[in-house]
Amino acid sequence: MAVADFAVTIATFIVIYSLFGLGLNVKFGFTGLIDFGHVAYFMIGAYVTVVLTMPASTAAYRGLGGFALPEFLSAIPGGSLIGWLLGLAGGMLAAALVSLFVGIPTLRLREDYLAITALGVATILNAVVHNEHWLFNGPFGIRDIHQPLATAFPLSPGTFLVSLAIFGIPSLAIFAYAGYKLWGVLEPVSLRTAGIATAGGLVFVAGFAAIAIDFGDLVLGAAGILLLVAGGYIARVAFQETDVPGAVAGLLAAELFIVWYFVAPLVQEGAFVLLRNTLFLYDPAAGPNGGLDYDRFLLVFGGALLVLAYYWVERTVNSPYGRVLRSIREDEDVPEALGKDTFRYKIQSLAFGSALAGAAGGLWATNIGFIDPSQFAATVTFFAFTAVIIGGTANNKGVILGTVVFWSINAGTRFLDDYFPSKYAIQLAAARLILIGVLLIVILYYRPEGILGEQDYPVRGIGGGTDD
Amino acid sequence: MTDDAPGVPDESVDPVLSVRGLEKRFGGITALDGVDLEIAPGITGLIGPNGAGKTTFFNCVTGYLEPDAGTVEFGGVDVTNEGPAAKAQQGLVRTFQIPRELPEMTVRENLLLAPQQQSGETLRSTWLRGDAFVTDERRVRGDAREMAEFLELDHLLDDPAGSLSGGQRKLLELARVLLTDPDLVLLDEPLAGVNPTLETKILDRIHDLQERGLSFLFVEHDIDVIMEHCDTVVVMHRGDVLTRGDPEDVRTDERVIEAYLGGDTE
Repeated sequence: MAVADFAVTIATFIVIYSLFGLGLNVKFGFTGLIDFGHVAYFMIGAYVTVVLTMPASTAAYRGLGGFALPEFLSAIPGGSLIGWLLGLAGGMLAAALVSLFVGIPTLRLREDYLAITALGVATILNAVVHNEHWLFNGPFGIRDIHQPLATAFPLSPGTFLVSLAIFGIPSLAIFAYAGYKLWGVLEPVSLRTAGIATAGGLVFVAGFAAIAIDFGDLVLGAAGILLLVAGGYIARVAFQETDVPGAVAGLLAAELFIVWYFVAPLVQEGAFVLLRNTLFLYDPAAGPNGGLDYDRFLLVFGGALLVLAYYWVERTVNSPYGRVLRSIREDEDVPEALGKDTFRYKIQSLAFGSALAGAAGGLWATNIGFIDPSQFAATVTFFAFTAVIIGGTANNKGVILGTVVFWSINAGTRFLDDYFPSKYAIQLAAARLILIGVLLIVILYYRPEGILGEQDYPVRGIGGGTDD
Repeated sequence: MTDDAPGVPDESVDPVLSVRGLEKRFGGITALDGVDLEIAPGITGLIGPNGAGKTTFFNCVTGYLEPDAGTVEFGGVDVTNEGPAAKAQQGLVRTFQIPRELPEMTVRENLLLAPQQQSGETLRSTWLRGDAFVTDERRVRGDAREMAEFLELDHLLDDPAGSLSGGQRKLLELARVLLTDPDLVLLDEPLAGVNPTLETKILDRIHDLQERGLSFLFVEHDIDVIMEHCDTVVVMHRGDVLTRGDPEDVRTDERVIEAYLGGDTE
């Protein structure tokens, strides 16, 4: 599997969990509601979307539905997609409605009680789905998941060159845009600091390479570990020299990405794979002339939904409404004293955040192609909390950044497993969680507001001069 | 003044706030012991020794505590069982003795929270962004700036409220309640920690607002301020109203001198 395919898989994960994290940010970041049961709405969104869109009768499924909305509407043009989107909307609505049932009794409680109650409710809902086979087929799960527009893929328009241009150019444009944005972040780093950091990064990579060649060899293994430590030490010097540690960390992350995504494939597999990685949306194996396969389509589609959700949340919080939400987070008695019905705001925030989690669930089911209750364990909620805290609580960009960091470590390092003897697989899996734990502690200690910190809240469209 | 209900004046002016038989117990401690009190329009001072029940009285009247017995009428309407938000919407607001600024939000945002019935505070209007959203937001921003200028907070508008000094927090608290466009404001020691020139300004503003129809009930320990600026003074002691009346009458009342003012009042 080319790195590009792997990257597409991770990027799709990141998109889905960012959407999930945006929902949590509405509740936790902006309103201060500690919802430890956030995953319940992810689960409800996934199941309801699936049941509303799956065919009416499927083998080995004994639960409710399916209601086959896409088939039902297939007579009208685009009806199949509309049917699926209606299913997704149904999933969001169901998640929001269930959150109302949970919220009406619990939101009258103070925040820590809400956290515990929400965790309990999520666990109960998971147990219900697991044990009540008549509902959604229990632990056997659902396999027959409707995938919107699946028949149109692989999409392979025109000749080889046309197809390459249609998907290759946007890929290049995305890289160019990312590079441009990155440049803006890295600019304050002095050349000297950048040089030291890069040297540290290279020594670190060399150490990893030494281990990767043969971990069993005592000399290579020891040399590798020494180089890893030395690389870390050199990079530390760069951090001590600078007053923009975030930019240096960004530089190191970008360099590691470049080595992983461009340099290593070029060395190991040659220029063709490098080209495939660069034009990542173009898959030469899709269709006769190559094109867009379904996985890549889901990434683009999910990305579009994420952008939509991002602006939706931004519009909500950059407003007088968002001010009330934040005032509830700070000290609920104050908005109450100023005549705001805080209970109504909390309920709405809970429902809105849960609906976004539901949308993420619907997308998750479509992407994975199989759902069962074990996918919706409480840990998923805490993954999202970790991502939100790392990236920046009450910062929508921070949620996405935190999700990128979290899943880069948790899933993006899985390819490293190939380099280590298979008997270390369990230790490596644990090492990933340790690494995330260490990162979380470092962030909480040095930068409790997260990498990006809380965002600003400009209320747009009210004209200039009033916000001087 | 009758002895059984010293908080109820003899003359029949329509009271802004009318409290009857208000009781509040915390375990074995009786914080309010059947308070009867009518607050007439104007500026009323509330004094009394520490632990007399002044803050509990505020909390029960504004809905932060549920009274064990008694009724609260505001503008002739029974509001005993309504929460703080509903009372604030009707024009009954309070400040907190220890300022409750929203530390992570800017001073401007703290102020913008106060005006009532803002169109942009509903989800619908926030998502649709109609004309009302824009005009309301412009108006409240103008009001907030004006209030900040008056209370000398305008140079701090973009600072987080958590960075303000103690006195500035008091001012922010006062600015916020005034921006709610209230009818009766309960001020819990609004002048503690405020510098003397600003104190004069605030008191002038309170008189100004009183002439425009607002009423104030304020707790203050500076007896000179109370004597000089209040139309009526209410004295609380041990969870009940000890007496009420003109500042001069209260100052010379034997029981007040004994309970609160101490021997030497001149």
